[in-house]
Amino acid sequence: MNGLMIKGLLFAAVLIGATIYVVNSMKIDLSDPINLITMIGAVAIAVLTVGVSIKYINQMKTDKATGELADENWDGIGEYKNELPGGWAFSFLGTMIWAVWYFLAGYPLNAYSQIGEYNEEVLAYNAKFESVHKNADAATLQSMGESIFLVQCAPCHGETGDGLTGKAHDFTKRFSKEQVLHAIVNGSDQLKYAMGAMPGGMAQGADAEAIAEYVAGGMKGEQPASFGVCAGCHGADGKGNGGTAPNLVEYDDALVHQVVENGKKGSIGAMPAFKGRLTPVQEKALATYLSTIKG
Amino acid sequence: MFHWLEKNPFFFSVGVFVVIAFAGLIEILPNFAEASRPVVGVKPYTVLELAGKNVYKKDACYECHSQLIRPFKSETDRYGQVSLSGEYAYDRPFLWGSKRTGPDLHRVGNYRTTDWHENHMWDPKSVVPQTVMPAYKHMFTNLADVDTAYAEALTVKNVFNTPYDAPNGIKLGTLDEGRAAALEDAKAIAANMKNKDVKDAVARGEIPEIVAIIAYLNRLK
Repeated sequence: MNGLMIKGLLFAAVLIGATIYVVNSMKIDLSDPINLITMIGAVAIAVLTVGVSIKYINQMKTDKATGELADENWDGIGEYKNELPGGWAFSFLGTMIWAVWYFLAGYPLNAYSQIGEYNEEVLAYNAKFESVHKNADAATLQSMGESIFLVQCAPCHGETGDGLTGKAHDFTKRFSKEQVLHAIVNGSDQLKYAMGAMPGGMAQGADAEAIAEYVAGGMKGEQPASFGVCAGCHGADGKGNGGTAPNLVEYDDALVHQVVENGKKGSIGAMPAFKGRLTPVQEKALATYLSTIKG
Repeated sequence: MFHWLEKNPFFFSVGVFVVIAFAGLIEILPNFAEASRPVVGVKPYTVLELAGKNVYKKDACYECHSQLIRPFKSETDRYGQVSLSGEYAYDRPFLWGSKRTGPDLHRVGNYRTTDWHENHMWDPKSVVPQTVMPAYKHMFTNLADVDTAYAEALTVKNVFNTPYDAPNGIKLGTLDEGRAAALEDAKAIAANMKNKDVKDAVARGEIPEIVAIIAYLNRLK
């Protein structure tokens, strides 16, 4: 055993001692396997550092240059011919093969796509929404409808749905008299109901007034005789003949669907279409909520 | 060859740069060229819309409103389809913004109307009670700068080949034609507005800023 080895072992002992001192002074719990493994790692690093250093310091002291010189030399500095280590050469070849695969298939087929991740998120959410709310009860629909209303509808129709004093349709009732008159005079073909377009001027003068009064009043009381012309499509009860024409009394599912899908332009102004923004369940929820606002 | 390169560090550096840049050339340039192409259906701005875009910039709407819908469901539910880079092809500059004190406006034309904007710019709290947006009443009296907007359109047409005056495209024409077209568009918008001063001004042949900015906002789809 030479002097260098003794110095090395002493140095390793100091490192290990210092490690133990730190562990003790920090009161580290060695029964925790993570701490124990870290401790063993620290000791191993100390031993390896000293061992490897001793090996190469000895080698520098004793080694003589031997071997065959390469033809290349730079300002008199030459280089020995050195065989490529086998493990290195094979891993280099392997890397090249992997690179070809990665270039042709690995990257192109597995690349990250932001839109792809978004599409997956939407699909997963929609599937979950469908399964959770397929048969939603009235209370769920009510609160869902309120959220939808506050986000999508309230900016124009107001948070209470009152239409902000005439700036938009007032949901606290089905119609105002002016709205009904406007529809009777001008007709309407915007909602794309199965029954088709309503022509303008089907009733005139006092008849139109009477109908407007009656419909705006919630179709209560005695029905004016002139309502017969409306009943042909809207039904005698005004409820739209099972969804083939607009319901004049309630905000039913069909009405909400047709307005959201097609938008509307009436006596107040234009409402843009919200096509594709709401799922059928959300439309139903909105209809439920609108019915409760109307009371 | 390699000995020569090793003795000429400058050309060696050039060689290294070319080799490394090659990957960038084949990766970045084709993607960039594709992404900056206009999406099908995107048209250059009309003169009135450009005048409105200048009002948007002048009043710094971009400080509180973004124009970029990111690919998250929460965002597309509220604002509409994800924004594509080709949709900004005719934006010089684009107005993405970086802050959302107010909502995103990239597709506001799909779900707000002329009369809503009119109410909202005059008195935001009359339509959205809790809003922190200030009123922009000066837009109802200040006149939009149509000539500058025309000059901008003509510049991008000549310098960047923006397809004005193309068949079935946006017509630009001469300055007088541009002014006349802007007034036509303004009349169509004023017809849906209620403010009497604005209607009178448009009837006189003047274009208040509010009309221009509504034209711009309605175009954001």
